[in-house]
Amino acid sequence: MADTDEAAIHMPSQDASAHIEVDLSDETQDFRMLSNISFLTDGTQASIPKRGEKDFEPNPTLYQADILSASRQAMHNALAYPRVHHPKNQIIGVYAPNGPAPPTQHTSNLESIAEGSPLPDAEVPSTTAATTTTAVGNVHPDACVYIANPKSNLFKTIGQADRWNRIWLLPEEALFMLERGSLNIHWPRSEVGYDEDEEEEDENNIEDSEIPMSLQAAYAAFASRGGLNSERFSVYTGLRRLGYTITRAPGWNDDGEDATGIEDSGLEDGRKQGAGLAGIYSRFMKWLCPPSTNTALGPVAGVGFHRSYDDIYSKLSIIPWYDPMAVPQAARSPAQAPYRVVFHVYKPSTPFKKSAPPPPDFRIAVVNARAHTSVPTLSQLGALLESTPLDPPTSEKMSRQLYMRLRHGYRNVILAVVDEGVVSYLRISEAAFGKEKLYKQKALANKTQYRPKPKPKPKGR
Amino acid sequence: MASDPLLPVPISYIAGSYFLFSIDAVTYLRREHHICGVLTGTLPQIPQQNVFLGLPLKLMPEEARLLVEHGVACIVDEVKAQREGMSALREADRRKYRRELESQGAHAMRLQTNRKEQQREAALKRVDAKKTAAAKKAAAAATAVGEAEGEGNAAHQLLPPPTVPPSYPLFAHLHAEGYYLSPGLRFGCQYLAYPGDPLRFHSHFLVVAADWDEELDLMAVVAGGRLGTGVKKGFLIGGAAQPREDESGLGLGDAGSVRTFSVEWAGM
Repeated sequence: MADTDEAAIHMPSQDASAHIEVDLSDETQDFRMLSNISFLTDGTQASIPKRGEKDFEPNPTLYQADILSASRQAMHNALAYPRVHHPKNQIIGVYAPNGPAPPTQHTSNLESIAEGSPLPDAEVPSTTAATTTTAVGNVHPDACVYIANPKSNLFKTIGQADRWNRIWLLPEEALFMLERGSLNIHWPRSEVGYDEDEEEEDENNIEDSEIPMSLQAAYAAFASRGGLNSERFSVYTGLRRLGYTITRAPGWNDDGEDATGIEDSGLEDGRKQGAGLAGIYSRFMKWLCPPSTNTALGPVAGVGFHRSYDDIYSKLSIIPWYDPMAVPQAARSPAQAPYRVVFHVYKPSTPFKKSAPPPPDFRIAVVNARAHTSVPTLSQLGALLESTPLDPPTSEKMSRQLYMRLRHGYRNVILAVVDEGVVSYLRISEAAFGKEKLYKQKALANKTQYRPKPKPKPKGR
Repeated sequence: MASDPLLPVPISYIAGSYFLFSIDAVTYLRREHHICGVLTGTLPQIPQQNVFLGLPLKLMPEEARLLVEHGVACIVDEVKAQREGMSALREADRRKYRRELESQGAHAMRLQTNRKEQQREAALKRVDAKKTAAAKKAAAAATAVGEAEGEGNAAHQLLPPPTVPPSYPLFAHLHAEGYYLSPGLRFGCQYLAYPGDPLRFHSHFLVVAADWDEELDLMAVVAGGRLGTGVKKGFLIGGAAQPREDESGLGLGDAGSVRTFSVEWAGM
């Protein structure tokens, strides 16, 4: 056992450089790598082990059987790790099966306003966008766990506070925190068979039954609650584990209205003006050199004097192309499930404020590969892309590099395709090849003589 | 090694997916029945990574179906079972459960403090004694949240076997031949077939199922063959030749009549 562990720990260092590009989560990793770190007894060592070696096929040697059983034992040990909460700094949440509600404190009569409507929030139609004002303040109606003593760094990006200084968690947030051992959720007394004649131990906390909820019970309670499903949760928790901040997008509910219309209304105005100017310019150009209406009678470039190649090329471009900057003429068709943005994702480096979330770095739509086996149609993709705001490649770096512009596109969205717990991410962007006039690029390059040509990235996507 | 779970193993049906929450069941099914599933949970000891994941284990409907057909597992409506189980909980159970968890927690804490003691003693031998003055005493008790509970009264929450895609006969056939199968999305196929436990072996085949009379696009075969060769795996295509006789109306093929073909790009 000790020998094999040592062998395994020495192996990755030899071929670490060869595997540097490999995504470790792509294949099942050897859990023996993990067992070299014993977390229960020593929490200081916490680096992720490197990739191990695998064999080609089973052979009947005892050696191989030993390694395999060691691997399985390591996996067993890793999975059997208990979630331990220190009594001093544990965070306790209480499950509220009926949704957000004001605290029931039998001693106080201050909450008489809220008391008039005991549980109105469960009935609030959740069709509207992210936050609806409920009786408990700015808490999402799908929230179902509250925390009275929110002391954790995680609450910088998770949860919503109510008037009583409690933090409410959405089902995916509660499940994620419970899973990572950062939260201890208690059952409410209404859900467990509670003996009425029992003495009240804690006057302030009569909802809390003090029975911890198991992971299994938490999955049963939260995994299908408020529009959550296992595919969406896989995406949520996978990105959270990698450090991203991830919030629900307005497209979360299937019948919800997209709020993105408001989001890019500012852009809309500017775009109209731009289109207007461009329109005047093109009308002027048309007047200046009328296009030959019938190319069958002569050369496409037209007869006459041609003073530069640009003129000829622009006359040769007779194939119409789609301009993503143009204002869509037809009313946009709403994005249909599952091709709707359900998550907004922020990089760890993006400063995030819960009260005023910045524009997201990524927008994600979640697709179940088992339910939707074919590539989305153009109209599905079009509607999905139109539901995202315009994001033209305007940065300084991109204004120089043609291929980066093409790759970035004018609108973009990420499709998370989930096949039974395995997630693949695809970035879909609306590239505008028509806007990149290569002949003008060349002219530009000729003018500024010694500019090195932009090198296309080898990573083909 | 792990203790074997009581058979049949309950598989939790939650939100359209099949989950296993018991570590003993996970280890047992992996060892004895070649069912690996996909770990989807966060490991509490290292929560900020995606390489090693923890419970629950998510099973494909095919895997759940296979286990039910072999009589090893049953499907439980977990949402209903939890709700009824918890409302039936009485004060005595409540106290007992809390006591158990607290003793588990105390045990974990003892392990932790023992380790700390050992470390401190080692440090004492090496470094000056003044350093240890800063070391703090850990608190006495802790509570741990158990993994599995309330499975005892699950018997009346049983659900029928899962509905499976038409590729099930091929899945069952390859499984019977000793292959370990996992979802194949990462390599653009239906399943990945491993010759042994994926912990130790690379997969050999990219598996795609087809109906017996289905007309295949030759381009798809070429594409699959090239893809498989590119990732050092074989492209395997197969399906059941005869419809199954004993099943009524499900239209599934007979796993016994499955034939398989592997395609390799010869590069000529």
